[in-house]
Amino acid sequence: MNAERRSLLLVGGAIISAMLLVGIYLAAGGASYTPEKTQDPCKHRAWRNPEGLQQIAEQFTLSALDGAACQLGVSRETLARALATPESRERFKKRYDISDAKLAKAVRAGLLRAVDDAEEAGALSPILAAPLRETLRSIPLDQAIELINNAESLLDNVEGFLGPAQSFLEQLLP
Amino acid sequence: MLVSFNLVMALAAVPAAHLARRVGPGRAAAVGLAVFAGAGLACAASDQLSTLIAARCVQAVGGALAVTAVLELLPATVGSERRAAALWATAGATGAALGPAIGGLLTELVSWQSIFLVQVPIAIAAAVPILAVARHEAATGVLSTELRQTGRPHFLANLALALVSAAIAGALFLLVLLLIEGWRLSPIGAAIVVSVMPLAALLGSRLDRLVPSARARAAAGAILVSGGLGGLALLPRAEVALTVPPQVMIGIGLALVLSALTETALSGRAPQAIHGGWTISARHAGVVIGILAVTPIFTHDIAQQRHDAIDAGTAVILDSKVPPLLKLDLAQKIESHLAGEKGKVPTIGPAFEPLPSDPEEHDQVVELREELQDQLNRGATHAFSPSFGLAALIGLLSLIPIGLARRVEL
Repeated sequence: MNAERRSLLLVGGAIISAMLLVGIYLAAGGASYTPEKTQDPCKHRAWRNPEGLQQIAEQFTLSALDGAACQLGVSRETLARALATPESRERFKKRYDISDAKLAKAVRAGLLRAVDDAEEAGALSPILAAPLRETLRSIPLDQAIELINNAESLLDNVEGFLGPAQSFLEQLLP
Repeated sequence: MLVSFNLVMALAAVPAAHLARRVGPGRAAAVGLAVFAGAGLACAASDQLSTLIAARCVQAVGGALAVTAVLELLPATVGSERRAAALWATAGATGAALGPAIGGLLTELVSWQSIFLVQVPIAIAAAVPILAVARHEAATGVLSTELRQTGRPHFLANLALALVSAAIAGALFLLVLLLIEGWRLSPIGAAIVVSVMPLAALLGSRLDRLVPSARARAAAGAILVSGGLGGLALLPRAEVALTVPPQVMIGIGLALVLSALTETALSGRAPQAIHGGWTISARHAGVVIGILAVTPIFTHDIAQQRHDAIDAGTAVILDSKVPPLLKLDLAQKIESHLAGEKGKVPTIGPAFEPLPSDPEEHDQVVELREELQDQLNRGATHAFSPSFGLAALIGLLSLIPIGLARRVEL
C-alpha cells in the first residue's frame, strides 16, 4: 500500500471511528442522560385517590407546597427541602432574597390551594371547604410566620405542617 | 496554579530558546534543569497557595529553558534534526498524556508534595549527560551548535497546535474532574482510569512510521481527539467503562496530532530551539485558553445540574409510596446531608442510614436511594457535557489551519 493510500485510510478511519462513537453514544441515550425535569408547581397536580386522614394530609401538604412554590417562583422540591429544618429555611431565604412576610404569604396561598385541590379531589366537601378557606385567609401574617417558625419543620410531620388547618380537617372530614 | 504554570511556559519558551542559543544549549539545559529541580523542591515545601504558585512559575521558566535547549542538543545525539524533532514531539505528546495519571497516583499513594519531589531526581538524572556538554562549552567557549538566522515560525502549524492543545487540556482536565468531583472516584481510581489515554498514545505514536504524511496524521489526530471529546460529551451512563473508547480515541489522536504538528512547525526551519520554543509556547497558550474557556462553563453547569438533580431526587421521594412520616424523615436527612457536602456532587447513600428494619420499608428506601443517586449521577455527568462539547469544537477548529497549511506550503 502506498503512502497516499495509507494517509487516506488513516483520515477515513478517524472520521468513521469518530462518527461511530458519537452515533452509538447518541443512540444509547447520551443526549437525554440528564436529571428528570420537575413539574411546574403552578400546574395542577391530580391527587392520587387519597384514603384516610394520613393520605389526605400528605396530599394536602404536597398541594400546599406546590401553591407556595408557585408563588415564590421556585420548584416544589426546592421549597420542600428549604422547609425541612430552620437552618435550611434560613439558607433558602438568603439565597432567594425572601422575607419572612413573603414566605408566610406564599405558605398561606399554598394552604388555600391545597383546600381547593382537596375539594376538587373529593376529599373535602364544598360545604366544609368554605369555612376552612376563611380560617386560612384570616390567619394574620405574623401567625403565618409563627406557623413556619414554631414548627421544627413544615415537613417534620403532617401535624406540624397543617397547624391550625389540621384541627379543622379532623373536624370537617367525613 | 495550572493556568499560571502554562501561562509562564507559553511566555517564556521563545525567550528561553533565544537565551539557550546565546549561552549554549548545554549550559542552558543544565541551568534550566537546576532551576526546575530547585523550584520543584520549593513547590513541595510550600505551605501556602501563593508560594506554591510562585514556585510553579519559576519552575515553568526552568522547564522552558531546559526543554528548548535540549531540542538543540538532540540532533547530535540521534543523528538528524528530523529524527530529533520527531523524538522531541513524541516525548511531549507522551508527557501530556501521562501527567494526570502519574500525578493522581502519586497524590493518592504518597502526597501531593511527592509530585514535585519526584521531579528532582529525574531532573538531576537528565542533567548528568548534559553537564559534559556544558563543561565543553565553558572550556572551549564554542557553542555546540552553529548560530543561524532564525526564520519565521510556522504560523498555521503553531495555531493548530494551540487549538488542539486547548481541546486536549479540556479532555484531561475535565475528565479527571468528572471522575473525582462528579462520580466521586478516589484520585488513585481516577488515575487508573485516565491511564488509558497514555497507553493509547503509545499505540498512536506507532502509526507515525506507517503514515509519513504529517498533514494526514495531524488531520486524523484532530478528528480522533474531537470525536473522543464528542463521546465524552454524550456519555449515556455514569459508568467508567464508557469513558474507555473516547479515551482510546483521544490518546491515539493526541499522539498523532501533536507529533505531526510539532514536526511540521520544525521542518526545514532553523534553529530548532527557537522554533521548538514557538511550539512549546503555542501548546501551553492553548492549554491556558482551553482551561479558561471550559472552567466557567462547567463551574456554572455543575452547580445548576446539582440543583436539578437534587430537585429530581426530591420529587422521586415526595411522589413515592413510602409512608409519609418516613418520607419526611428522609427529606430532612437528605437536606442535612447536602448541607454538609458544601456544594459538591454528593454520594447520597449515608443520608439513608440507618435503613428501616421493616422489610417492605427497607426495600422501598433502597429503591429510593438508587433512584436519587441515579438522578445525581445524571446531573454530574451532564454538567460536563457542554464543556466537553466546546473542547470538541475547538479540536475541530484546528482542522482549518491544518487544511490551510498544505495550500500555503504549495
